[in-house]
Amino acid sequence: MSFYRSQLFICLFFIGTTVFSQEKKRVQGQVFDASNQQPLIGASVYWEDQPQQGTTTDLEGNFSLPATELPARITLSYLGYEKSIRTIQVRDLEKVQKFYLKAEDFSLEEILIQERRGDEQVKNMELGKSTLSMETLQSLPALFGEVDLLRSLQLLPGVKSAGEGTAGLFVRGGSADQNLVQVDGAPVYNASHFFGIFSVFNPDGLKKVDLYKGNMPSSFGGRASALIDVAFREGERDRIHGEGGIGTISSRLTLQGPLLGEKSSFLISGRRTYADLFLKLSSNPDIKNNQLNFYDLNGKAAFTLSDKDKLSVSSYQGSDLLGLDGQFALGWENWVSAINWNRVNSDSSYFDLQGYHSRYNYQVKFDNEENGFDWTNSLSETGVKATWTRVLASKSTLFWGAHGQVYHFAPSDLKPAPKNPIDRRQTQGVQGLLGNAFIGITQEFSDKLTAELGLRQGVYTQVGEGKVYQYPNNAPNPDVDPSDSVFYGKGELMQRYQGLEPRIAFRYLLQPEFSLKLAYNRNFQYVQIASNSSAGLPIDRWVLAGQYIRPIRSDQISLGAFRNFDQNRWELSVEGYYKDLDQVIDLRNGARILLSDQVETELLSGRGWAYGAEFLLRKNKGKTTGWLGYTWSRAWRQIDGISRDRPYNPRFDRPHDLSLVLNHQFSPAWTTSFTFVYSTGQAVSFPVGSYVADNQSLPLYSDFRNENRFPDYHRLDASVTWKNPDPGRKWKGSWNFGVYNLYGRKNPFSYDFRILYNNDINYSPSDGKVVSARPGVVMTYLFTFLPSITYNFEF
Amino acid sequence: MKTSWIVVLVAFLCASCQEEVFLDLDQKDARIPVIEGHWTDQGIYNEVKISLSKNYYDSLEQELIRDAEVFVKELSTGRRITFSYLNATRSYRPNPFERAKVGETYQLNVNWKGQVFQSEGLMLEAPTVDSVTWEYKEKRLFRDEGYFLKVYGKIPFPDNNYYRIRVIENDTLKNQREDYLLFDDAFGLQVFEEGLELGYAFQKNDRVRMELYRLNKDAFDYLSQLVSLLFNDGGLFSPPPQNPESNIRVVKGDSQVLGYFVVSPVLTRTVTLPNK
Repeated sequence: MSFYRSQLFICLFFIGTTVFSQEKKRVQGQVFDASNQQPLIGASVYWEDQPQQGTTTDLEGNFSLPATELPARITLSYLGYEKSIRTIQVRDLEKVQKFYLKAEDFSLEEILIQERRGDEQVKNMELGKSTLSMETLQSLPALFGEVDLLRSLQLLPGVKSAGEGTAGLFVRGGSADQNLVQVDGAPVYNASHFFGIFSVFNPDGLKKVDLYKGNMPSSFGGRASALIDVAFREGERDRIHGEGGIGTISSRLTLQGPLLGEKSSFLISGRRTYADLFLKLSSNPDIKNNQLNFYDLNGKAAFTLSDKDKLSVSSYQGSDLLGLDGQFALGWENWVSAINWNRVNSDSSYFDLQGYHSRYNYQVKFDNEENGFDWTNSLSETGVKATWTRVLASKSTLFWGAHGQVYHFAPSDLKPAPKNPIDRRQTQGVQGLLGNAFIGITQEFSDKLTAELGLRQGVYTQVGEGKVYQYPNNAPNPDVDPSDSVFYGKGELMQRYQGLEPRIAFRYLLQPEFSLKLAYNRNFQYVQIASNSSAGLPIDRWVLAGQYIRPIRSDQISLGAFRNFDQNRWELSVEGYYKDLDQVIDLRNGARILLSDQVETELLSGRGWAYGAEFLLRKNKGKTTGWLGYTWSRAWRQIDGISRDRPYNPRFDRPHDLSLVLNHQFSPAWTTSFTFVYSTGQAVSFPVGSYVADNQSLPLYSDFRNENRFPDYHRLDASVTWKNPDPGRKWKGSWNFGVYNLYGRKNPFSYDFRILYNNDINYSPSDGKVVSARPGVVMTYLFTFLPSITYNFEF
Repeated sequence: MKTSWIVVLVAFLCASCQEEVFLDLDQKDARIPVIEGHWTDQGIYNEVKISLSKNYYDSLEQELIRDAEVFVKELSTGRRITFSYLNATRSYRPNPFERAKVGETYQLNVNWKGQVFQSEGLMLEAPTVDSVTWEYKEKRLFRDEGYFLKVYGKIPFPDNNYYRIRVIENDTLKNQREDYLLFDDAFGLQVFEEGLELGYAFQKNDRVRMELYRLNKDAFDYLSQLVSLLFNDGGLFSPPPQNPESNIRVVKGDSQVLGYFVVSPVLTRTVTLPNK
């Protein structure tokens, strides 16, 4: 629904710029994709001599444009499609006009940067929002040839990665768990495979992704830093289509087509890795007998119920399995489902209703009679959201709605094998309810000044059943036993928080191609991960706000200048921001939280802040496209009990960050892409000495966290794509050859400070006689010159 | 377990490599005293080692402090037990007949160059070790082939259940980071009654000595954090590295202090494995 909603807002925005007159006659029409008869949403419609006064098509491709003096030429345009111009006579006003737009030369689709209007970045209200089309994403060189949505977002200004090869995102100084990742409006709690190396999204099944890092509309909330709004694709309605790919480590297949006639469609998409096969090639039995795989399966069915109603049902399931010798296994799974109903009440009134359920669970199992165990945990979120949108008069659009969420974090349960004498360990489950009401209005004050004002009120309640421990002086401490505990019955109120979240944005148009934007956003976050490692693990402990864990509050102010050049061929933007965070958490030294009911004793809380400037230059059209992004930014945390209570930089603080993305189409058959990334090294702690304790030589660390830096990170990736240029073929195939880290830069993944024996980094005292020992530093680096090949096809 | 998975993943990502590098590391201007104190119910284990930290790339040779004043005070009586430096052991030792008594709280005092360091610990009652058995086992997941020892005993205490077992194989302390055996009552203590298997594969004729310590929580936490630090590879999956939190405090002076003070009963058992 999110895709449609955003399109809807775009429609409404532009509708809002049009002067309506009920008395005036109108041209009614509908716009379709000529290849599959699917309605085109958001196509621009205007009179050829009045390009500034147009409209856009709605969910069903319908438009209604006030008539001008007829006959006159009407223009229909849609990015990626050939423009259509038709002369309208007076008699044409009596019936609905149908337009069929043809896609431009199919190769152009591959090099579009964004599916949006050319002047959108200047004229819309969005500050700190980035959109990536799947075509752009699929054209980028990728690790192992696996196109990855989240890793591609790291190429945008303001977005940092946790480190080499990982898909975790750190947006404008926020932690990874401060991002809301959602598909079709439903949250995904662990969006990665293989410990974060790949994200869970199979690109074939996706329509697009919007990243909100600055101004988030009041209809969204729940996370302190960013919204990553992913939309599943809908199936085409003309005939059964298929597409897929065979890659270096995985293969994927997508089927789509009409479901029950032309009023409905389906799309089902799957992907599975076969990394296990590579493991079996190893001569080391400790490696070859292991399992290592993941799969994704997502599907979407869309139904046009009437001229005004549309319903879609989508679901995603993905799972990882890592197994050792058939006895030990770690698996985790996401299952996300969403149902969306979009209703167009009239030209000026819309209604969206959404329901979703998202479940994440993991299992660690050791199949052994004496020492075995089975450890499981799951969490879920269920929600319903209703949004009403109304165009008020000509220059304002109002939306309002409500969003209810139910969190259920099941007990973490470790069950020993029957003959294992350890005790069963089970934490208590936690439940939370979050009710949100939101309202927003977009008001065009003049041709130049437009404002979007929004308010979101959240009321969070932790409810029983559950037990809350009481501590002396109300100060949880791992060294002090609880003084008492209070038990709450099922549904009983345990703790309540509420917060008002204002969202304010202004856009001032200095020139038709030059605008300034200003935004202020406040967000509250009631759920977070209790972890102090930089990369997420599948067994990370999510915690809900409660008596001792307060919700995170985030305030961000951002300012941007947006300028287009050369008839929107070039886009330039400069944005600055300051973000303030309160109640962020970290862990005490040696904290043990995974199977603890007293997590609060292991947590430390404090504040954070971040600021930066982001620069983006894009070229959207032509044979050469791409962008250059540069970010200067800083991120800070100050938490009592860490770094002697002084401010410190989290690991992802990387002041300079540059990305260059270039695509060039040499011919309809050959396309090449390059990406170059450079960033300051991660903030880390290196030893300042060493000492001996308990017969161990230990590195000595300063009391101040992350005062050192990894070397600067840089890397160049390249890919070449060849596709059969004959568009008439039923089977269309293409080959993609890529190289990750073309010049073999050894970017450190980690530095290990340890004793080196016999001047050999791999020698252990258990291997034999030790003739020498000295302190050393061992660097691990992951990917140098990693080629990949992928065959993609469609039929 | 986490590390095992990362090893598998790194193996899968066969393009990964390791190499030794030299990093230009910061250096501490002042060297920090490192105090390791053991005060037990067996004279042979009672000692205090005092050394100084050094720059990271310096040789492994420790710089010892030999001129400190060291004593342990029995807080209930105020009695002082003096420790003297012995060159043979490179540590401070008391009269070998002095022992810790159950129920007493002891205070370690170290005075050096005008600086005073202190720590306290309660002498806890020892659990019971009834027997030690062994069994030859084939190679298993996470275990090599060899003889495995099981310790049977009773731990009847409702609290203060923090234990360490040190294993000495043929006069060599098993001292790799994976050799540490620390356990508390988080998963119950029934395992001790039903036989706690030591996770080491021994060979025939091995002479194995076990030392069971019942620690105070702060000493247990120190050792747990020490082991975590040994496994911290500085990567994304590791927490930011920190020094283990010492249970020794600076009473006078502006120096930092490293190390830990253990007050504990020690139970020892020695077995010799069969020649077959």
